Amino acid sequence: MSLNDQIKRNSYEVKLASDSSESKEYELSVKAVDYAKTPDIRSQIPRGGVKSRLKEQEEARRRRGKMSLLQRRSLSGWLFALPFVFGLLFVYAPIIFTSLKVTFCDIATDGTMTFVGFKYYQQVYTTDPWFPITIWDGLEDLILQIPAIVIFALFMAIILNQKMTGRAAFRAIFFLPVILSTGIIDRLNSQDAFSDAINGSSGTIDTNTGEEAGGIISALDLQQLLGGIKLGAGLVEYVTNLVNNIFDIVSRSGVQMLIFLSGLQSISPSIYESCQVEGASAWETFWKITLPMISPMILVNAVYTVIDLFTCYDNRVMKLMEQALNHGGEYGGTAGGPSVAGVMAWTYIGIVLLFIVIVALILKSFVFYQRRD
Amino acid sequence: MDNSPKIKRETRNKIRVDFERAPLSERLKAKFLNSFFFKKVIFLIFKLVLLIGVSYVILYPYITKIFASFMSPSDFDDVTVVLISKNPTIDQYRYIIMENDYLLSLLNTFLISASVALIQTLVCALVAYGLAKFKFKGNNVLFLIVIFTMMVPQESIQYAMQRFFLRFGTSTPIGYLLDAVGLIEGGFVNSLAPLYIMSVTGLGFKNGLFIFMLRQFFKGVPDELEESAYVDGSSTFRTFFNIILPISVPMLITVFIFAFAWQWTDEFYASSSSIFYLSSYWSSDEAIKLISNIAKVPPSLQDYNKGGMLQAAISGTASILIVFPLILVYLVVQNKIVEGVERSGIVG
Repeated sequence: MSLNDQIKRNSYEVKLASDSSESKEYELSVKAVDYAKTPDIRSQIPRGGVKSRLKEQEEARRRRGKMSLLQRRSLSGWLFALPFVFGLLFVYAPIIFTSLKVTFCDIATDGTMTFVGFKYYQQVYTTDPWFPITIWDGLEDLILQIPAIVIFALFMAIILNQKMTGRAAFRAIFFLPVILSTGIIDRLNSQDAFSDAINGSSGTIDTNTGEEAGGIISALDLQQLLGGIKLGAGLVEYVTNLVNNIFDIVSRSGVQMLIFLSGLQSISPSIYESCQVEGASAWETFWKITLPMISPMILVNAVYTVIDLFTCYDNRVMKLMEQALNHGGEYGGTAGGPSVAGVMAWTYIGIVLLFIVIVALILKSFVFYQRRD
Repeated sequence: MDNSPKIKRETRNKIRVDFERAPLSERLKAKFLNSFFFKKVIFLIFKLVLLIGVSYVILYPYITKIFASFMSPSDFDDVTVVLISKNPTIDQYRYIIMENDYLLSLLNTFLISASVALIQTLVCALVAYGLAKFKFKGNNVLFLIVIFTMMVPQESIQYAMQRFFLRFGTSTPIGYLLDAVGLIEGGFVNSLAPLYIMSVTGLGFKNGLFIFMLRQFFKGVPDELEESAYVDGSSTFRTFFNIILPISVPMLITVFIFAFAWQWTDEFYASSSSIFYLSSYWSSDEAIKLISNIAKVPPSLQDYNKGGMLQAAISGTASILIVFPLILVYLVVQNKIVEGVERSGIVG
């Protein structure tokens, strides 16, 4: 080990051991004098080699009650995360535990719980007429709505990312639902009889389907349009539903649009420039550059959309749960409400967890990660 | 005819170019009558139609609500009235503001939303920074738990939450301590404390999303910035507050606005079946007046309330009154929202 190395190592050690800069300087100078006095450094190397020396230092540090840099860093990490860890242990864990425990217990009117085993699970899974059907329909809704929302958000994000006049105004309008379409406003909008009435007042009844032609387009128009192409009735219905529920789709895709926009901004413009130089058309650029580069965001957004749709209060499973909570088993009386709702909730959470894992796995095989560094 | 430009040298440093320009009509033809220009125009029209169409869909409910809010009760019986009122009046606004305690609700909601949003932003930033920049055992597990909290809808643990906070004095060591001191009597009834406890611990509404967003943002901040601060002798917390927080202001504003708006329109803590607003079964105290409670027919308009159309118009008017302050705040900071998310570089 050369003299230089020795000095470097010592200075490193001093830096760790001392806190104030003054003492650092002092010790360094002492060491330097030491080396000058003792030119034979080999005598200072411990018998076990450098590693044992490091171990000794570690020991000494521990004896002095000081931590290594790594330990200090990980401790800071815990300190920063402390509020959440604290809440997790003392608030969230007990709540989740109670919520699970409730599903195994009868609750008396004074709140005491008595263990009854799988009674409520049996009730919900075997005798409840609505639950399996509602879960199935809810999942079907999810599967139909996720692609619509993700594709719409991507499409709008690409348009809003282009330079054009009035972009700021359009962006402001498009992100409005993110802050407005929640809670009370969402509920008031969904039961807005007034705008429905205005819509309906100009509509007529479709003579063929018997539906009111109140929506933006009617199934009949679309059937005439698509019927010639011989598309299945299911697809026609799907498209009609999408167009008529455009408000829901738009108002649910705000956060997704923001995430896509941030992804589009992070694609380096030089890639597009080189594409232009090579003579790629906009169509090719989209499929070969934009889509692969944005694909991690598609995964994030798909998962976020599942979570968002699933936790939103007005999907049918949540409504059923609320009904069960207020009216109890088979929604007749009031007994066992929390237990039945709890069973439903945890079953639903389990199914959706599984669903998210499947979606993530499917999408993960398409995701392209750009290697940085 | 020789069309090529003639170049004359006037002085040593100056040349003069003479050429015949093509006539204007020829030039315009060349500029506008080609497939490139047609394509551009068609795309522009397509884009504008789409953007304006979707903007219309977004704004439509608010437009109808604004028109309906100025209608008088007689307009609802008149079939010829569609949007524009024949006897415009501001009665709906007047009675909702006067009789449904709008101003008091506004003040209460503002104080609660602002404080809750501030706490949530700060706490989520702290937690996200810890998760993003420090490697420690359990880091990834903690992050997965954050995602899990995002996935459990708060309505589904509503009963357990109520039970937990009602028996707070016997369920946790801290609660036990507070109970022993006499600050709480067994638990929280009709109180704001549960909301603040959930916020301080990063468990509030959609806080998982905030932690996720902020974590992605902090991951994009170069490590060199902090390392140079450490070399200069700054502690981790000082580095966080003096260096990291100032550079992440747009992102923090975004999170703040989300938290503020979602608390503003929140019903979970303010609904009739929730922790604030317990039925007299548990407590006879009057619940705190919040802005989400103003959507009801004011007593003075009760007599006219026949068809349900007035009811719809009134709840529309109420939602305009609820949304109006939010839109003001949004318009002031909406640039920051886009900027904050754009700079975050959220990458998978």
